[in-house]
Amino acid sequence: MAERIAITGVGQTHHKSKRTDVNTPELVTEAVEAALEDAQLTMKDIDFVVLTSFEMADGQYLPDLWVVPEFGGVGKPGFKIQNAGTSGGVAAGAAFSYAASGMFKNVLCVSWQKMDEGKGAFGRGGGGLSEYWQSQIPFSPITNFARRAFAYIHNSGCTEEHFGITRVKQDQCAMKNPYAQLKLGLTLEKVMESAVLVWPIRFLHMCPSTCGAGVFIVSPEKQAKKVTKKPVWVEDWFCVHVGGAFTMAEDPTLSTLRYGCQTVYKRCGITNPLKDIQAFEIYEPASPAELRWMEEVGVCEDWTAWKLMEEGKVGIDKEIPFNPSGGVTATNPIGATPVIRIIEAALQIRGDAGEHQVPHTVNRALATGYGGQGENVIILLRKSY
Amino acid sequence: MTTEEQKQEPELLLYQYPRTAHYWHALGYQSAVIEGFKQGRILANKCPKCGRAMVPARTVCPECYVEATEWVDQGQRGKLVAAFKLGYPFYDRRTGEAKIWDKPIVAVELEGGARLDGWCSETDLEKLKPGLLLEAVWRPPEERIGAFDDILHWKPVEE
Repeated sequence: MAERIAITGVGQTHHKSKRTDVNTPELVTEAVEAALEDAQLTMKDIDFVVLTSFEMADGQYLPDLWVVPEFGGVGKPGFKIQNAGTSGGVAAGAAFSYAASGMFKNVLCVSWQKMDEGKGAFGRGGGGLSEYWQSQIPFSPITNFARRAFAYIHNSGCTEEHFGITRVKQDQCAMKNPYAQLKLGLTLEKVMESAVLVWPIRFLHMCPSTCGAGVFIVSPEKQAKKVTKKPVWVEDWFCVHVGGAFTMAEDPTLSTLRYGCQTVYKRCGITNPLKDIQAFEIYEPASPAELRWMEEVGVCEDWTAWKLMEEGKVGIDKEIPFNPSGGVTATNPIGATPVIRIIEAALQIRGDAGEHQVPHTVNRALATGYGGQGENVIILLRKSY
Repeated sequence: MTTEEQKQEPELLLYQYPRTAHYWHALGYQSAVIEGFKQGRILANKCPKCGRAMVPARTVCPECYVEATEWVDQGQRGKLVAAFKLGYPFYDRRTGEAKIWDKPIVAVELEGGARLDGWCSETDLEKLKPGLLLEAVWRPPEERIGAFDDILHWKPVEE
């Protein structure tokens, strides 16, 4: 990177399935104001703005036209990026790059999704890649994870119960996160009794629809040190897309997460991810995905994560601090979700995560964004240089 | 910014229009695949470097980035790669209406190496395992429109 950069302020909404009390701009502004307050800055200090939401899930076209005036961003340089589930990740990457250019002091990255208004559009849109290739069969994120769950069961030898154990662990973490949406007090029995959405995925295995926003401010080194005593340094970020994910028939174990992580690890000198990284906030939109993602991120061997989950080794104060916030299965405002991973990872480094703070010092934290059928954005944060 | 004075009683409005969606799709290189469906054949083009067979066809292999000009008939049989079944009413993207889908959906790896999605006639989910040999069951020729659901479903091969 041209200049070292650091996150100087973060803010998010309390995520809910419905926010009928506010419209989209009002929802977004809640998170913008929270981030500005966190950094002790005002909108006057912001000199570049990157926006993102997954428009199909909002059910609105160009929502930025009425979002920006609400939070006071009119006239500031900036743009909007949209890239389905990775929207927040690529927007964050753009914000990092603009900050690293040294041309701007305080870059605001604004992400949101308001799914209580436009979810019908999302359902009808399905996978939406090609009207010809995808109109015959009902595709959705759920069917994507159903085929992955099918492949995981047959490759690892785990049972459906292990998806349930994973869901209970995710819920236990979310129960401690004041911003999380689903805090259900789940038991394994409750998960196993929930309706089958798309076999072998059950209702409680899958993330909810969410209204929420996430915002951070990122600055070059000199400015970051002026703004805050707890800068969270962006050590590296990497965005990688898969070559062949066009239909659901692609390899159900295909993912770019492993490749992306290995690239970042190599560039940053990480040889043992579980030792070198102390907190993981990984974009898992369904319980089975968390198991596979643990393996691809490199905290355990292939097809073994379910055993660690069964042995209770994964959680906030456990051997493997994977998704201490409760993760995406508890909260998924799609366009904002990767940014929320970054926010949660930053809070862990700062020691400000509250009840879901991991008990040990977090020198490095990994956040990711996932989209489509295998795209990933990998962001590595660190406490100090 | 919303001040206390500006806050109003929450109101949600529902807009619902009877719309018809038209979509003209330029298929380009994929046109040969569509013609193949009409003839009851599954055609893929093959990467000369890595051997990847592609359905939908692409002019280049996404991994090797070399032109793939050789067309290969993928045969009528394939092995099950993944399977899932919808347990709730889901939108039919052609009509916009939610409906019950009775058959499981399978990803099939064809004899020629390409992969295709389709419906499966076997509804006993316990029997759907990776490697299950499946065979294409086509619509009658006069009903085919050049889409991959010209294959009505995939049925397990009794051996």
